[in-house]
Amino acid sequence: MTHEQLIELLGAYALDAVDDDERVAIEEHLRTCPRCRAEVQEHREVATLLAHSGADAPVGLWDRIVGSLDAAPPPLELAPVLPIAPVRRRWVPAAAVAVAAALIVAVLGVDLHHQTRRIDRLQAAVADPMATAFDRALDDPSSRVVTLSGARDVRAVITAKGIGYLRATGLPRLGADRTYQLWGKVGDQLVSLGVLGNEPTVVAFGAQSVTLLAITTELAGGVVSTQQQPLVSGTLS
Amino acid sequence: MEDLAHASDAALVVAIGRWRQDALAEAYRRHGGAVFGLATRVVGDRTLAEEVVQEVFLRLWDTPDRFDPERGSLRSYLLAQCHGRSVDLIRSETSRRNREEREHRQRAEAGYDLEHEVWDLAVGDHVRDAMATLPVEERRAIELAYFGGHSYREVAALLGEPEGTVKSRIRSGLQRLRGGLTKAGIGAPT
Repeated sequence: MTHEQLIELLGAYALDAVDDDERVAIEEHLRTCPRCRAEVQEHREVATLLAHSGADAPVGLWDRIVGSLDAAPPPLELAPVLPIAPVRRRWVPAAAVAVAAALIVAVLGVDLHHQTRRIDRLQAAVADPMATAFDRALDDPSSRVVTLSGARDVRAVITAKGIGYLRATGLPRLGADRTYQLWGKVGDQLVSLGVLGNEPTVVAFGAQSVTLLAITTELAGGVVSTQQQPLVSGTLS
Repeated sequence: MEDLAHASDAALVVAIGRWRQDALAEAYRRHGGAVFGLATRVVGDRTLAEEVVQEVFLRLWDTPDRFDPERGSLRSYLLAQCHGRSVDLIRSETSRRNREEREHRQRAEAGYDLEHEVWDLAVGDHVRDAMATLPVEERRAIELAYFGGHSYREVAALLGEPEGTVKSRIRSGLQRLRGGLTKAGIGAPT
């Protein structure tokens, strides 16, 4: 199909009104054509309005949906349950056990990876412009990446221009009366670089002449100088 | 994220990604009615429509990362899923006969007339106005394709028009509608 022919089909495609082979061809094309993608999205938004009815969702149906949800979240706790027992039996060759163990690790690893990715991608998808800025800084080879280690690692990236971005989404949520606060060591002084709130996301900060980053928890509102031990900290190379 | 009732749709989906059932419940509360309404119109059967709705929300639960907020609203994503699934259902051979019966019934009653549907007041009025400004051929092509679940080839056969004409009409009709709705200050509901 020519581009012209594909474009003519975009309306019908958005309404699921094309044949299978046409659908395949269009979807292939959409992968590389942002303009056509945008057009399909526009048609879908119009269709959304056509379908707009003021009716409420049926209540009984929700009970059925919730009844068929997996008990969440999946596999992470599986580890102790997995059959490591054969190790004790002599007749199982050690190599086989090792392979089995490796498989288990691989499977768990994949699951864990999948879950982390699910959350990470969703996080990014909220289209927080700050998150985008963080990613962009991370992709820039002239930036420096700092890992603040502690109970959980937090990553910061500092651009060549001295603008820092901290991705603090991994930190557990605090009570409403507490906040995380970011500190930087400048010379021999610890200065506040920002109050991050009780459920921090991605923040930007001025990182000029900062040699160390640290995060503490403080009373909501933050403090001018901290008495707390840092939760996580990392030195800038 | 404590107060899900005031969370954005995108934030809801993030919470769903963290396996929070209450976030899915809120998404259902916001959009379940629209999804159910569309499914009912397309498949024409309440039981089948409920199955579609169930599938759509289970899918959101299983793979929330397939929703990309930069590509449009959650409602439009859910409705697109719902429509695709509904069309699959009615195009399957087993339901063909039911569908034919249903079409007979619809023709005998009010045809495909949108005006007989219940609309959310504010938006519904504007959508109806915009629909009314469409040339009747465009309007019928869109209705048959979207609510009737017909392919544009089937629509062409039903209306006795060339296929090429019908696919152009669907596209130009959707564009015209968009223009009309934008002028009325209506965007996609979130």
